[in-house]
Amino acid sequence: MRDFPLNIVSPFPAKPAANGHAAVHIAPIGDGFVFHVLGNAGATEGSLKKLINDIAPELGGALCSPSPHQWFWIGSCEVSQDRFAEILAKLPDGFAMTDQTHGRVRMAVSGVKVRDVLAKGTMIDLAPDVFAVGQSAMTQIGQIGAMITRTDDDCFEIMVLRSFAVSLWDELHHMAAEFK
Amino acid sequence: MSSLVKCPHCGLRPREEFAIRGEVATPRPKAGADESAWFDHVYLRDNPRGEHREYWHHAGGCRRWLVLSRNTVTHDISDVVDASTLKVGGDA
Repeated sequence: MRDFPLNIVSPFPAKPAANGHAAVHIAPIGDGFVFHVLGNAGATEGSLKKLINDIAPELGGALCSPSPHQWFWIGSCEVSQDRFAEILAKLPDGFAMTDQTHGRVRMAVSGVKVRDVLAKGTMIDLAPDVFAVGQSAMTQIGQIGAMITRTDDDCFEIMVLRSFAVSLWDELHHMAAEFK
Repeated sequence: MSSLVKCPHCGLRPREEFAIRGEVATPRPKAGADESAWFDHVYLRDNPRGEHREYWHHAGGCRRWLVLSRNTVTHDISDVVDASTLKVGGDA
């Protein structure tokens, strides 16, 4: 349990939405929450999903797994500190959870050329028939560890550690520069 | 070296995502074992021509330790398992 309120500040420049790439749109995702859930060896995604439905159905959100028995629970609504404490208190043995909303930064990359842009940095196959909508993968963009999730046909969400966010942000703009 | 490694958790990934730790050492000697047995365990490594087992860390992905069986001549990777699965059998 944290002892002081987390101050969530965007790591991006003042007007991050201003990017001039016609075929690619890069935007930060400022709202929402990121919880990191750790499970013991018996924990499954199904059991965690059921648990979430039982204790916090109003939050919704999605689970993506960076590693066995670990999940990022990511959603778009704001969660107060008190509500987080409530959820934490209801979590049974075998699960542990920390609020990572301040520590992980999400950004949305979309557009018809999005795969050409991401292909310059990441080595996994993001082809539409291989990487389905909703699928996610923990990988690297350049040398920066990032979680890539496909949210729609030509839309991807990228989540990185906060300290890498601006660096990746600049890199993405360089990668997208040819589509201006 | 083959450029794609099939991580048991993440699927096919480029080898740039992995950090290679080296040979899977012989089982740890008993506490009172001969000094030469300990020297062998701690310092001496084989450099075989052919089948070789190595620890690989999937640093850029799931961050799990894997045990990879690789042929040093053909670079074929015959088997990749999570290192924790070997602990049960005690043969890691």
